[in-house]
Amino acid sequence: MAEYVPFFTIAWPSTYAYYFFVIGLSAALFFVSGLSYFREEFKSLRSSSFMLSFALLVIGSLLLVVDLSQPGRFLNMINPGYWNMDSPLVWGAILLVVFGAVSVVYFLTMQKGDEALGKKLAVIGSLVALGLPIYTGFDLSVHQHRPVWNSSLMSVLAVSLSLISGAAVASFLAKGEAKLLGSLRNIMLASAGATAVMLLALMVTTAYGGSASELTYMFMTSGSMGTLFVWLGVVLGTLVPLVVLAAPFGKQASGIMLASVLLLVGGMALRYAILVGPQIVHTYY
Amino acid sequence: MSELRISSVETRGVPGKKRYAMVIDLRRCIGCMACQTACKAEYDVPLGVFRTWVPYKVTGKYPNVRKMFLPRLCNHCDDPPCVRACPVQATYKMEDGGFVLQRYDRCIGCKACMASCPYNARFMLPKNRTYTDITHVVDKCTFCHHRVTQNMSPACVQTCVGRSRIFGDLNDPNSEVSYLVGTQATQVLRPEEGTKPHVFYIGADRNHTEYGRSVYGTLDTLKEDREAFDRNHNLHNI
Repeated sequence: MAEYVPFFTIAWPSTYAYYFFVIGLSAALFFVSGLSYFREEFKSLRSSSFMLSFALLVIGSLLLVVDLSQPGRFLNMINPGYWNMDSPLVWGAILLVVFGAVSVVYFLTMQKGDEALGKKLAVIGSLVALGLPIYTGFDLSVHQHRPVWNSSLMSVLAVSLSLISGAAVASFLAKGEAKLLGSLRNIMLASAGATAVMLLALMVTTAYGGSASELTYMFMTSGSMGTLFVWLGVVLGTLVPLVVLAAPFGKQASGIMLASVLLLVGGMALRYAILVGPQIVHTYY
Repeated sequence: MSELRISSVETRGVPGKKRYAMVIDLRRCIGCMACQTACKAEYDVPLGVFRTWVPYKVTGKYPNVRKMFLPRLCNHCDDPPCVRACPVQATYKMEDGGFVLQRYDRCIGCKACMASCPYNARFMLPKNRTYTDITHVVDKCTFCHHRVTQNMSPACVQTCVGRSRIFGDLNDPNSEVSYLVGTQATQVLRPEEGTKPHVFYIGADRNHTEYGRSVYGTLDTLKEDREAFDRNHNLHNI
């Protein structure tokens, strides 16, 4: 069948996937730092994970600004006179600014050694940090015509992926402390398990959807995103580390390190595939 | 009886307000692409992007074949997802007329509107243009707002040789579009998205207005075209 179809570019390219990864990591590392006020074994991570979280927050914000076609107009995003509160992007901009401000105060309190105020700021900062992956999920799920994106799972999946990557990076900062590694292993195990269940639910729903969903499912499993999504994201990046962590080997430092590397690679692959995959079909419409 | 309005931005049935719509009679479209050309000329639309475009499919098997044209443009939805998605209100809906328009000086280029449009009606303007100084922001069809407010019809409607495109006010019971939408079997694209489009088609076949299987099993010729397009349309280069 001959046809003439003008092609279209995908709206959100890979930069957003990197941004989602970086900002999710930043949020989770703040959470890990905040945990140190409540769990003794996390104390050694208080400063290092916070520093990394803040650096990633700066990098993530820069990625977001650089990806705008008019980077100089990023100020419009923080101008309340322009805000459209129906858009998750506005909530994201507000959360980024608030998270940055809370992080600065948290850092100063940490330097002063004020435990009581630090504890309060850890809770406040962690709640704001939780909002970051949640909003990135809503960024995608509000687009009603996009298969995979338009799912109530997106925000929960973003939180889960954020926790995985945060715990994975924290395990490198843990310097082999057995109790701390054990706690991080539990976080990774629970989050990776939840992620696997969500990915299964997401793919089944997509496979049984309408024509756009069906085609998107094909692109994401056997099409151009297949290797990245199924093999790198689901198998190597989620299921294999789950098996490693659940096995006796996964209780050793080397097992946790191996699982962490795989989870980080898988988390990035999943974010990329979930961002780009559902946009492919629409470039032909 | 007042019409049900689901969202506060909808313009249907608002007393004293216009609600412009386009009816495209596909039985009359000959695929001359004059509408596409008129639009390009009216707005200096750059190469490779379109405010309106006319894709076609050849359906059937010889000797029973037919070329199906489907002129496309922004649907100026009554409940536009792009307006909801824009973080800085650079995209907005005019209450009088129902035009979905763009504030070029406010657009930050986050492309959220492009991601949210179910019709691919939006595109990014290139960094450099010869005659027009609106660059590197998102653009789209305006229903020729500047012409319509001067009591002229949109450029594509004016130039349509088969009188396939008809434009008017749906809130006016005496308009031709009201008559056509009221008396003919019309279709909108992707009604399931709840956008309530203002472009109505007469004679559109739902089998050919949805995603086809050819999207996945791409023809070799289409694949070559696609590769050439991708080479020239890296979002970061335009």
